[in-house]
Amino acid sequence: MRKRISESLMVEDGEICCASCAQALAPAGASWKKAAALSTVPVKELPGTGSNVEPRVVLRRFACPHCGHLLDTETALPEDPFLEDVVSA
Amino acid sequence: MDPITFSIIRHRLFRVIEEAVITLKHVSGSAVTNEGHDLMVSLYQADGSLLMGGVGFLHHLTSAAEACKAIIRRFAGQIADGDMFLLNDPYTAALHTSDIYLVAPIHHGGRLVAWSACFVHVTDIGAMNPGGFAPEAQDIFTEGFSSPGIKLIDRGELRQDLWDTILNMVRSPEMVALDLRSMIACNNVARERMLALINKYGTDVVDGACRTLINQSEVRLRERLRELPDGRWQSRQYLEVKGEIYKVLLTMTKHADTLTFDFTGSSPQSKYSVNCSKWASLGGLFAPLFPLLCYDIVWNEGAIRPITMIAPDGSIVNCTRPAPVSVATVGAIQSVNNAACSTIGKMLAASEKYADEATAVWHANHFAIFMFGNNQRGRLAIGILTETFAGAGGARTFGDGVDIGGEIPNPISRMANVETIEAQFPIRYLFRRRLIDSAGAGRFRGGAGGELAIVAHDAPDGGIHYVLSGKGPRFPQSDGLCGGSPGAVNDYVWVHAPPQAYNIDRFAQGLHEIPGEDEPISWGVFPLMGDDALYVRWNGGGGIGDPLDRLPERVAADLAAGVISRQAASEIYGVVETAGSVDQGATAAKRKALRQARLVAGPSQ
Repeated sequence: MRKRISESLMVEDGEICCASCAQALAPAGASWKKAAALSTVPVKELPGTGSNVEPRVVLRRFACPHCGHLLDTETALPEDPFLEDVVSA
Repeated sequence: MDPITFSIIRHRLFRVIEEAVITLKHVSGSAVTNEGHDLMVSLYQADGSLLMGGVGFLHHLTSAAEACKAIIRRFAGQIADGDMFLLNDPYTAALHTSDIYLVAPIHHGGRLVAWSACFVHVTDIGAMNPGGFAPEAQDIFTEGFSSPGIKLIDRGELRQDLWDTILNMVRSPEMVALDLRSMIACNNVARERMLALINKYGTDVVDGACRTLINQSEVRLRERLRELPDGRWQSRQYLEVKGEIYKVLLTMTKHADTLTFDFTGSSPQSKYSVNCSKWASLGGLFAPLFPLLCYDIVWNEGAIRPITMIAPDGSIVNCTRPAPVSVATVGAIQSVNNAACSTIGKMLAASEKYADEATAVWHANHFAIFMFGNNQRGRLAIGILTETFAGAGGARTFGDGVDIGGEIPNPISRMANVETIEAQFPIRYLFRRRLIDSAGAGRFRGGAGGELAIVAHDAPDGGIHYVLSGKGPRFPQSDGLCGGSPGAVNDYVWVHAPPQAYNIDRFAQGLHEIPGEDEPISWGVFPLMGDDALYVRWNGGGGIGDPLDRLPERVAADLAAGVISRQAASEIYGVVETAGSVDQGATAAKRKALRQARLVAGPSQ
């Protein structure tokens, strides 16, 4: 039984999975981001950056650790925790 | 009540508002009202609760309800047919002092049956900085005239003493008078049309239709919420003023047929005027909620009932008097707009049925640039650069965001023609256009933002000044969704002309073609004098989905159209072009390599 969490994530057999390759990431209803492959890029290095961008702000990119499909992003300062989105099991 | 009569009354109520909006715009002479549509007209029940919300800036719908209720409390026993009340105190109901509410009771047969309420951003409110946004203000007392409620019109008679007093406290009183006149006319039309409706169908029938409308909205929104998945979604918005960083943190919880918006964890209130009050935050979360969840539901009290807000006292989203709030609408309120848009988008994206309604964040960072000074006709001119209303659409799950496509909280906003601005102020545009690489990347990209540059022109005083305020250029704020990237940041650059500027390029077509020394600016009052230039860019919308899933042909089309750079096509989208066409083999290899690079990063900590 599949249940949608987002365009990039689903729940299958009680596990949060990558919607692209079905790689299991975490139990349904739990935080999945710690199981993802995280890469960060300073916003000031992105194409289209401005002249006065905060040097510490990064774009966190959470990817499937199996297929590399991008699952979610968030803008963050290094000291701030991951945003947690939880769809009830 | 038979369904046909009910339907007719429902549509007549819409038309009452529509005609009142048209009246307001016809009477008003300002670009901020007519082009930016920085306005709102709505109808309220006799107790002040929202009956029918109109278009314009939607965060005013609930705040104006509170304004009606505040007037009912303050003037109990003194509210008569033909009265009209003015209220603009942010700690009573308004968003900031320059957005004046004019609320009017509607009586039928001697009985109070409804209210009409409207607002415009008046040309000036007597704050320490012209135009109403006051970045130099340290408290509410320096943000201009502020009233928790006065009776401006008594039984149809304008109170001349009050009128003169108000106009005596503002710059450009003739324009402020026109702003106020436009609202008076607007409320008069709303009252006349409401009375015509009641005269035709009778008080009981209209009351019954209104009660049904409100109950319908509540039932339909609760039904929709029950169809959506239960869960908890978060969003975080950063804003910056003079090196100080603030956060608006939102946790939205959906349970059964209720939604709770909890701003616990947001920053304490600021010493700068980016704060907002409780009523402003409430309006701020409804501004995206109405169009995203109630696009086919009448915006009224019924749609408010399933919603709860938690906003800690003393925080940037529920500041305490006398904290300054004049920049609220482009400060904390818009951060609340963005955060609510983001969490609602995530919830919709989690639904099989409603995924197509999900959107990344639209134009998330207004820039308030109020020009002021003597214009080419030697008259004081004050007004906003309306490009801030041009916006940029967020991506949807089925398509790209619209370039320079507006914003969620104001579905009818737009920018004025260049010629309109040049006729009002002694300035000349060097360029105004879509901005490359401003759209948030994704399988579907956000809409592109824009850029412009202006110089002084035909200025009797050698130039003009401007008040610049907003949420700063240091953080992207149009968040992406499901792996999409945020739109690019805003930017403001003061280009100091070289000392001997007689060879200056008067037709520069880009920031780096404008001769002189660049100085990034973001907050305060600045001159635009001599041959100096002001360069401004505004953010694009957020993207949705993995950019490496975007059709290569779409990437190539964006490249050809100048929406993205070659660098973005290669590094973000992994598309390789050879001789002007997509090299499919090289693109597949490039994308595979980029995905592999993500894996090297390793598990999150």
